[in-house]
This record gives sequence, C-alpha cells and structure tokens, in this order.
Amino acid sequence: MRTILTTLALLGASSALAATYPLTLKDDLGRTVTVKAEPARIVSLLPSTTETLCAIGACSKLVAVDDYSDYPQQVTKLPKVGGLYNPNLEGIIAQRPDLVIVSKYGKLAEPLTQAGLTVVAVNPETYDEVFSKTLTLGRLVNRETPAKNLVTQMRRDIARIEILTRSVPKVSTYVEIDPTPYSIGPNSFIGVVLSKAGGANIIPASLGDFPKIDPELVVKANPQLMLGLDLKTAAARPGWAGLRAVRAGKVMDIPKDLNTILGRPGPRLPQALAGLARILHPELFRK
Amino acid sequence: MQDGTLTARPFVRAARTPLLLVALALTILCAIAFGSVHVPLGDVLRALWHGLNGTPLSGTDVIVWQIRLPRVVMGLLVGASLAVCGGAYQGVFRNPLADPYLIGVASGAALGATVSIVAEWPRALVPVFAMIGAFLSVLVTLALAREGRRFPPNRLILAGVVVGSIASAASSFLILRGEDRARQVLAYTLGDLSFSGWRDILTVLPYAVIGAATLMLLARALNTLALGDLTARSLGVPVERLRLIIVIAASLATAAAVSYVGIIGFVGLIVPHVVRRLWSADHRVLLPVSAVAGATLLVLADLVARTTFLSQVGIVTTLIGGPFFLSLLRRGSRL
Repeated sequence: MRTILTTLALLGASSALAATYPLTLKDDLGRTVTVKAEPARIVSLLPSTTETLCAIGACSKLVAVDDYSDYPQQVTKLPKVGGLYNPNLEGIIAQRPDLVIVSKYGKLAEPLTQAGLTVVAVNPETYDEVFSKTLTLGRLVNRETPAKNLVTQMRRDIARIEILTRSVPKVSTYVEIDPTPYSIGPNSFIGVVLSKAGGANIIPASLGDFPKIDPELVVKANPQLMLGLDLKTAAARPGWAGLRAVRAGKVMDIPKDLNTILGRPGPRLPQALAGLARILHPELFRK
Repeated sequence: MQDGTLTARPFVRAARTPLLLVALALTILCAIAFGSVHVPLGDVLRALWHGLNGTPLSGTDVIVWQIRLPRVVMGLLVGASLAVCGGAYQGVFRNPLADPYLIGVASGAALGATVSIVAEWPRALVPVFAMIGAFLSVLVTLALAREGRRFPPNRLILAGVVVGSIASAASSFLILRGEDRARQVLAYTLGDLSFSGWRDILTVLPYAVIGAATLMLLARALNTLALGDLTARSLGVPVERLRLIIVIAASLATAAAVSYVGIIGFVGLIVPHVVRRLWSADHRVLLPVSAVAGATLLVLADLVARTTFLSQVGIVTTLIGGPFFLSLLRRGSRL
C-alpha cells in the first residue's frame, strides 16, 4: 500500500507543473514578498519550518538553521545561526541565502530585508495552520506536489488515530505547560491534538490559548489525568492531594521527545497525536 | 514633625479606625466567598466549619479551605509585612520614597529566586536564595549610598535604583538563557499568590512576625530618628546601631514575603503614606495601622487579580501604586 502511494506521489510530482517565479505572496507579518527564482540556499529559523522543508524534499537546500532545529538528523550538521532572542544576523548574511524563512516573532525580518535578502515569515501556530503553512512552504520552494502529498498523508495518519480514540470515553485532562501554573486552551495547537487523542481538556476555551489559571479551577474540574508535572509536585500543591488523578497516580511529565514534537506544529503532528493517544488511552494500543 | 491628622476631615478622623477594620473584615469575607470558581455561600460556610472541626474535606470544601483561605491568610501576612517594612524604611531613611521596591531589596530577592529557578534547584530553595539576594542587594545599596555615617535620601534612592536595575538586568539575562523557565520567572517577578498553602504560611510566619514585631517595638526609636540624627544622638539614641537593626529586621520580613509570593510592588510605598495622612506620623500608630491597611489592600488586590483578566496580584498593586506614586511626586509630599 505504502509503495503504491509513494509511487503515485512521485508520479504526481513529476507530472506537476513547476511553480512560476517570480512568486509574490503575503507573509505572516503581512508583508508582500517576491521570491525571484526557485530558492537554492535557504536559511530556516523555526524548527517546525525546518522539519517541513525536509519532509517535502527541500532539505538539501538548507544552508543554515536556528539553534533549536534538530530534526531530521541531517540538519544537525548545518551551521547554527541563533535563536529567537539571540539571532546571529551576521551569521545568517554570511551564508548568502536566497531565502530566509523567519518566525513572525523576533525582529529579524526588517534588518535582513535591508541587508538585501529575501525574507518570508511563515509561522504555523494553530492546528489548521500546520497544513496551510506546509502548502505555503511547498509553493515557496517549488515543492508544491510533495507538500500536498505530505498534507494528505498527515491527514490520513491522523484520521487513523482519531477513529480509534472516538470509540472510547474521553479522559478529562489537565495539561500544565508551566508550573506557575499555565495551561492550554482547547483551541491551541496542543489543545486540538489533546482532543483528537481522546482527551477532554478541563480548561474552558473562554480563558484563551495559553491561560494562567487559578488552581481552584483544577480542583473544581477534578481531572482523571494530569500531564506536564510530576506526581510529587501535584500532591504537594495546596488542595490537590485528594484529586482523582493524584490519588490514582495518573500524573506525569510529558516524555521529552513527545514534548518536543508537541511544541512543533509541523510534519510530525501525527506522531505527536499518536504519542499523546498512547498516554491517554493505553488500552487502545496494547497488542 | 508634621502632623498628618491635620489634613483629615473630622468625620474621617472619628471613623477612620472602625472603617478600616470593617474594610478588613469585608475584604476577608469577600476573598473567601468569591473566586474564579463559583461556590455558594452556604458551601463556603460549611467548608470553613468542616475545616475547623476536622471533618474530611471533599469537593468545594477543598477549594475554600485548602486554596482560598490560605491564599487570603498569605495575602494578609505579606500585605502587613510589606506595609510595615515600607513604613519603617521610610522612617529610618527619613525618605518618603523608600520602600522595599525602590531600595533594590525586592529586585535583589528576585535575582536570587531567578538564579534558583533557572538552575532548576529544588523549589524549597527558592526562598533561601531570594533572601540571600535581598540581603546582598541591601548591603550594596547601603554601601553605595553611605556618606560618612549618613544615608542621604537622594543618594539612597539613586543607589537603590541602580542596584535594582543591575539585579534586574542579571535576572533578564538568566531568563533569556533559560527560555523554558521564562514564564515561571516572569510570574515570580510580577508577584503571585496562586500556590500559597498552609505550610508556606507557617514558613513565612516566624520571619514576618519577628520582623514586624521588632519594628513595632522600635517605634519610639523611629520617632526620635525623625527628629534628625543630631537630636536623636543627643537624646541618647545609638543612631547607627538602631538603623542597622531596623534595616535588618525590615529586610528579613520583606525577603520572607517576597520569597514565597514574588515581588509585589508599591504596597510598602502607598500604605504608610495614606496612614500617615489619615492617622498619624507617629510610628507607634503608623506601623500597626499600616499592617492592617496593607493586609486589606493586598487581599483585595489578589481578589481582583484572580477574578479578572489581570491575573496576578503584583500587576494589580502596581497599576494602583504607579499612579499614586506619580501623584505623590507631583504634590511634592514630604514625610
């Protein structure tokens, strides 16, 4: 089955029309940018963008990445040019890229544009944007068909897990992304993945995507599962020792690898979903 | 010494103390009754009763007795400490602007806390490092501000602001280095009562009580300091030693407060000023009344914080305190 799909994808790719350059688009900073020709030297400053570019067959065009891009393996050998807070402007320019893909945060776009580089801000944040930005990146680097195929493949993998998790009752879950405590709303990227993995987020959407919450809310909701903190911490918090999740020992830090992909709205979204589903519904994956 | 009571209207003068106590009682009641989760009044009373008679807590009992009540008590404790310390700092330095925030103690405490948060040392160590930071910064501020044996107000504020800025810059550097912890540090530097439990209260209590009690016992001495060092010395007051004891006691109480709930600005500045205006500049009145008023203000601010989008108590107090501070500057108010 897989081989057939891949063959079809390859056929699709070869028969697709090449993108027409110059290509003009509006980026995530609201700027209108023109890419003159198919980029051959790309600097990616977001880990999720790096992963997407590699997943659509443009990995070899990358000449430098940000400090946090560490997947796939081959990008770890590329020069690192800083992070959001400490970008290495000179390092980026020295690579003589013909395309720099930046986050909409930080303030890189302006100085890099002034330095004569072509800069595009592509910033997937929500669940839906994972797909739309994959297509945007595909257009940018003339890998439109692989991008479309990637999206199709991702949607198929996601659907497979969703069918499983729909068959079992939802687990009410509290996800902590910071011990002060910050949690995630149902409309955030992780929030959507959580719900598809068969979880019921205890945080109401009205509080926003990354709300600082009142610990009272957690006591009131009395979740079955707590993610993002350890059992000892949860039990030591005022009033939390008697909660369902704590008494049942269902409090756990999100494993590091899973946590990394949950924080990257990119091609490994199905993997993130599968990982979370395994934690929420281990009964579905026992074989 | 200027008599603050002269500015108050007769009615306010007569009713001020009962009014303050009523405000305190109402604030405590509201703070226990309201929160981000709706708990009917009957359940609140039942929860309080269950907590007192030792019935096992369940459901909303936990919210009221384990979360809201300790949060209120911590608010009272910290608010009272900060206000008393503010009053004492202002008295000992004869400077209306001196408060834990402006003389750099709070920023120093924050730096200490930031170091331990970013380094991921155990949470129990955060207060210890906050205290070390607070003491180091106050020592540096005093050393910088010192002019012979005196601490002139403008030099003190300048030194405090500079020490505070350096501490803040160092904290910012650490925050940027440890991006994952940034939010935690931010929450700390904005002041937060979220996770105050009974155990934390028991930890802060002795420092706050010892600090505040020492300051109140020294109230008469603080009054003599207000007459000027020369006069005080001629009255037989050991000015330098007294000043040192007061600074240490106030820094101890401040650091204890700051270490658990983070930096809560302006309580130590506003409260003593209002009390001086409405009651008296006599420290025997000023300090105890400031304690009650500070406690009231902080619990009220925390109630606002947790029921509105402002979310953190330090944001609320700073939004109230900032404009108040500016109006003081404009009116050129003196001690």
